[in-house]
Amino acid sequence: MMPIYNAPLLTIDHKEARRYAGLMTAKFDEQAIDAACEEALLLAEPHGIWNIYEYDSKTHIVQNEKPFQIKGSKITAHLNRAEKVIILAATVGETIEKAVTRHFSEGRYAYSVLLDAAATTAVEQIADAIEKAIQAQISAKGYTMRWRFSPGYGDWGLDAQPEMLRLSDAPNIGISLTESLMLYPRKSITAIIGLVRENNETPIVHLPHDCAACDKTDCISRKN
Amino acid sequence: MIHIFDGAIGTMLQNAGLKPGACPELINIEQPEIIQSVHRAYVEAGAMILETNTFGASALKLAHYGLADRMAEINTAGVAAAKKAAQGKAKVAGSMGPTGQFIQPLGDLDFEEAYQTYYAQAKALAAAGADYIIIETSIDLQEMRAALLAAKAASSIPVICQLSYSEDNRTVTGTDPQTAAITLDALGADIIGVNCSLGPEQLVPIVKILADNTDKPISVQPNAGMPKFINGQTVFPMTPKDFARWTPALIEAGASYIGGCCGTTPEHIQAIARTAQNCSEPPRKKPLPQLKLTSRSQTVMIDAALPTVWIGERINPTGRKKLAAEIKEGSLLSVKKEAIDQIKAGAALLDVNMGIAGIDQAQAMKRAVTEIAQITAAPLVIDTSDAAALEAGLRAYPGRALINSVSAEPERLKTFLPLARKYGAAILCLPITAEGVPDTAEKRVDAVRRIVEAAKNYGLKAGDFLLDGLVMTVAADEKACRETLRTLQLYRREFGYPTTMGLSNISYGLPNRPLINSTFFAMCLAAGLDAPIINPYDEMMKNTLAAGAALLGKDPNGRSYSRMESNLKVPKQAAVAEPSTMDTLAAIKAAVIDGEKERIENLVSQAIAEGNDTNTITEKALTAAMNEIGIDFGAGRVFLPQVLLSAEAMRTAFLKIKELLPAQETAKLGTVVIATVKGDVHDLGKNIVAALLANSGFALIDLGKDIDSSAIVKAAIENQADIVGLCALMTTTMTQIDHVIQALKEAGSNAKVMVGGAAVTQEYADDAGADAYAPDGVAAVKLARHLIGKK
Repeated sequence: MMPIYNAPLLTIDHKEARRYAGLMTAKFDEQAIDAACEEALLLAEPHGIWNIYEYDSKTHIVQNEKPFQIKGSKITAHLNRAEKVIILAATVGETIEKAVTRHFSEGRYAYSVLLDAAATTAVEQIADAIEKAIQAQISAKGYTMRWRFSPGYGDWGLDAQPEMLRLSDAPNIGISLTESLMLYPRKSITAIIGLVRENNETPIVHLPHDCAACDKTDCISRKN
Repeated sequence: MIHIFDGAIGTMLQNAGLKPGACPELINIEQPEIIQSVHRAYVEAGAMILETNTFGASALKLAHYGLADRMAEINTAGVAAAKKAAQGKAKVAGSMGPTGQFIQPLGDLDFEEAYQTYYAQAKALAAAGADYIIIETSIDLQEMRAALLAAKAASSIPVICQLSYSEDNRTVTGTDPQTAAITLDALGADIIGVNCSLGPEQLVPIVKILADNTDKPISVQPNAGMPKFINGQTVFPMTPKDFARWTPALIEAGASYIGGCCGTTPEHIQAIARTAQNCSEPPRKKPLPQLKLTSRSQTVMIDAALPTVWIGERINPTGRKKLAAEIKEGSLLSVKKEAIDQIKAGAALLDVNMGIAGIDQAQAMKRAVTEIAQITAAPLVIDTSDAAALEAGLRAYPGRALINSVSAEPERLKTFLPLARKYGAAILCLPITAEGVPDTAEKRVDAVRRIVEAAKNYGLKAGDFLLDGLVMTVAADEKACRETLRTLQLYRREFGYPTTMGLSNISYGLPNRPLINSTFFAMCLAAGLDAPIINPYDEMMKNTLAAGAALLGKDPNGRSYSRMESNLKVPKQAAVAEPSTMDTLAAIKAAVIDGEKERIENLVSQAIAEGNDTNTITEKALTAAMNEIGIDFGAGRVFLPQVLLSAEAMRTAFLKIKELLPAQETAKLGTVVIATVKGDVHDLGKNIVAALLANSGFALIDLGKDIDSSAIVKAAIENQADIVGLCALMTTTMTQIDHVIQALKEAGSNAKVMVGGAAVTQEYADDAGADAYAPDGVAAVKLARHLIGKK
């Protein structure tokens, strides 16, 4: 059975939307940000799906009938102690993307960027909710989760996307891949999460996380 | 008496030789003696209730092992094993765990399939002689609702409902303990509790909240602490002694049924049984009979002592042709928008009416309720006169809804009250009888009394009623207002239940209706109206409510009232510099920099009236503004959305100039062909660059996204482009930039090429042979000017 969880989105985090829009600490019309979060809430079609696989951290292989070899120094280091991995996909659908384009073409440039940022926030919130759902399943077995890592972070190439789609069953929630390995709808993610248990022999490798892990230092949404 | 449950079974089965990956419930049939010995150990330890080894024995779960067809047999054997071990010394609770799937729309599982699955399992457990059904470890209130409804339908034995909470004290799908207690109590749970996920210490506050919100007994079965992985094994760290130490606290918090979940053993149970011997049953405060409504994740209370609750009335197609047509076509977009907007405007409950002729109202109600519940935490009011639509809405709703409405007409009582009881809904009592609308307050009280008495016969009780004062038109009957006010007063005196009503009927046929409505509203608040059904966008009503709350002491000392912006002497926003004192061109420049497009049109008109031509306005005001923004952006003083607001103001200015001076061509700095390259469907970044260039005086030809190199070359040649702008967001698509540059050269284009996009760098641009790399839209404008200068 593939678990599907289309988490209810009751609010979209204003602060995160602000950050994704590149507003940092600038003064801005907060009502416009609220309006964008509300429109995103209205138009989002949240879907999430995942599977859990056994993982061999020595060979970096996700166990499956068709094994999946993970390549990339950062991702394999990040999974150095994982016994299992969750491979998940989440999307807010394409309606919201169309609205972003429409607002822009009608001259609401700034609002369009805010809505785009709210949509990004929504996808992340769906992925967070999926993590919470999985946490409830795995914690009784002693597992904890490492933070989620997506193709394109660090040196983990986008060529992992076809396998990420296959192993997460993402097509079941309407996510597909373009020839150039982009996810469609655009506001979608795939990610891998390592499941680890207490073990005193091998320490967990703690890589810089989140924005600190990203090479794009001029990103408008970068924290700090 | 404190009732002692047993502890975990799984670990003991593994110790007894259950192979990992095997179906744990199949043992009930294949090796019943193992299960019996586990149960016996718990009986000897002092357990008074044994849980059967049927947690995963629903047909949906057994299907993973190909055992769905043996569901009844496995459950029957599970009960038999427990009964045999109990020897009459302990009761047997038939256990039902989660299906492992989320119910629609959160997941794929249809509510009815979940219901049928639980129904069949509960039927088997009860038929085999279980004393209770226990639904446990549930992480979703909707799944619990399906299981509880099924268990109640399948048998008459008591049902125990235990949800499992995460560290944020909510279930996975967002239900807090208060909301769970209220919803499950109303739906007919006999014992309400919590198990698994956390240790006893973390469950004490959850038990307390449960106990404060229901008068049903409370059960709790914690894990033996948070799990650790030691020497290759998952271990729950709490010793029996540590575990039992929390027993008095759990009992004091309100629990009278205590046991253990993951990691607990007969020793743990023995320890809590011993500790519990010295504890008496917890004193329980009876919860106040306030009207409590819930969604999946929130509780709203209506009571005379609490702030007035607004019921938003806008999700109603009556008299709204556009909304009705949209719903008829199957779109709920406007319905959802009304939900979000009304809550923002202050509504705490949302009335949902799908009364459109010629549609399947049951289907429409189910869909509306389901979709609204996905985007808002406000509890819903199911507004229908159609029993089928009512049941569809109540069944689908993951909370405790209010029914709008139940009148004293016999047919309505007969069809609606059983549904209210079955689904744990509250009812809005409308004092209308078979004879019509009673004209006096006394007759309305009589009608309501008939409804309440009939409802009580069906099992409803205080806390389930909201009384409608009934509003008639004052233009037709001069006593209409006074009778309604008297009705509210009599309701309070005779019943003490909270009150509601729609208000706008009062002013029908009179001029200046808002004044009548708000005055009437103020009178009703004084007479005891608790939950008006109104249009929450109505500012006058909102202000009346705020003033009324201050006057009636619900807003002590008028504190909130004083803080309302409309009541402030000096507006919060500092006065903006008077544009008239400024030179008009400077004012345009300032308005562009501040992104104030509302001011731009007038300023441009003024500048033209003062005799400025297009080029003067462009150069001295618009371009000058853009230059300044560029500098501030580069220095990190302004940010992208602010730049875009300025671009919007520029756009407004250009449109106005074009409108007023159509003959004057704006001088173009040059022609730019822009596109996102083939294979790349990102276009927001490219759109931003295009907009900034277009509003900085360039002629723009935007080809769009995912554009083939040949199309870009063709457009560049045909338009004699000065600049070609290429955008690529991803490492997988930026190689297209090389192709386009190559193709442009081959075609003999002398356009300069500017590139950008998330993955592109200066280095990459240089290698590809581009003339410029623009890290952002503002830089692109500057670079474009520079490139034009070079040509």
